[in-house]
Amino acid sequence: MSVRNLLLEGLEQAINRVVALDPEAARQLATLHGRVICLDLRGIELKLNFVPRHDGRLQLLGRIEGQPDCTLSGSPIDLIRASEPSEGPAQLFAGHVRIDGDTALAQRFSEAVAGLDIDWEEQLSRLTGDIAAHEIGRSVRALAREGQRIGRSAEDNLGEYLTEEVRLLPHRFEVEAFLSDVDEIRDDVERLAARIAQLERKSRGDAP
Amino acid sequence: MADDKQRTHFGYRAVDADDKASLVRGVFDSVASKYDLMNDLMSFGVHRLWKRFAVELAGIRQGQRVLDLASGTGDLVDRMADLVGPQGLVLMTDINAAMLRVGRDRMIDRGHGGNLAFVQVDAEALPFPDDSLDLITIAFGLRNVTDKDAALRAMYRALKPGGRALILEFSKPVSKPLEKLYDLYSFRVLPKMGDLVANDAESYRYLAESIRMHPDQATLKAMMENAGFERCDVHNLTGGIVAAHRGFKI
Repeated sequence: MSVRNLLLEGLEQAINRVVALDPEAARQLATLHGRVICLDLRGIELKLNFVPRHDGRLQLLGRIEGQPDCTLSGSPIDLIRASEPSEGPAQLFAGHVRIDGDTALAQRFSEAVAGLDIDWEEQLSRLTGDIAAHEIGRSVRALAREGQRIGRSAEDNLGEYLTEEVRLLPHRFEVEAFLSDVDEIRDDVERLAARIAQLERKSRGDAP
Repeated sequence: MADDKQRTHFGYRAVDADDKASLVRGVFDSVASKYDLMNDLMSFGVHRLWKRFAVELAGIRQGQRVLDLASGTGDLVDRMADLVGPQGLVLMTDINAAMLRVGRDRMIDRGHGGNLAFVQVDAEALPFPDDSLDLITIAFGLRNVTDKDAALRAMYRALKPGGRALILEFSKPVSKPLEKLYDLYSFRVLPKMGDLVANDAESYRYLAESIRMHPDQATLKAMMENAGFERCDVHNLTGGIVAAHRGFKI
């Protein structure tokens, strides 16, 4: 029992240190007091049961009796990716992460936890060893980089299509030229206004 | 003890059964303020893992009514109150008023409320109706109860059918070398530590002695069965230095 309990204790303390730094997340988690959210890590056959406490800290149980209120299952990589706001829904719809039980609870828990800046790789390394955790973390980061690259290139292509092909949007240079024209006219108008004011004063005869 | 109604043990000393409660009270009046610090020092922090394990064995669910006997400063209560949720109830109790006050203040400081109640009770005469509780726990407290059989019977009576009792207590190390090392530690090191930190060597000598006088795994299991508990099991922790006993009322 000792090694497993030591790991759970360490993980629980690490998570609660992060929760303690984020009052908003703690407030959200406290509303889930007593509910059981199970994280079923496929591949390493590990179940972690999170029970939010009255003050939003989390209690971590290796096993519970009966059914958890909701279960999020997936491989560690999928679950980590699902915790990122931009990736979450895609992971869910792709079927990599599965939710059983109270889905609203799963959603509220995920939202509260997603805001926390937890170094999952470091935490995972306690359970799987440094090398495996590093590899998993590296794959996730490589995937994230690849995703960003694809995203950027899609953005570029779309921009080019709209400006050059269908000419719905002005080109960047045209926009800049337009903006500098606007600046020039504004300055001219201000100069003219100053000039008119000066002439008005002169015509009334009061000396400057 | 069962074979002698008039006399019982207080550590290695034989005392009148009527006096034991007040002697134990003296020990805890003396150590209440330094209790947490000493627990961490004495067990190198491992007591947290023992308690964590016990809470898992307890299989608590939302909405349950739980009685914790000899709550001390409430390590078990702290975890259990969060597991029963806002609809559940945890009764935090101790026979010692000073200890219960320290424990109650600690729980309030931690922001607990609503699902906690504090009662000063004697484990041998539980003031709760029959079949009224889902779970009764006692961690490191049974050792100090004068009539353990009476306490076990009282626990059995107050539990609902299907309820369970969980006893976490020092026990007998399963290996000889560990036992030697443990003896050396508890009779040479502990009283010194108690003297330095809590300024009370006697109380910690009592602790070591009372652990040796406490029934071992097999004996306590038999005592639970005598009291009516069924499906009793024992889990040795840290080589049997501590054992978690569990029994059900069917």
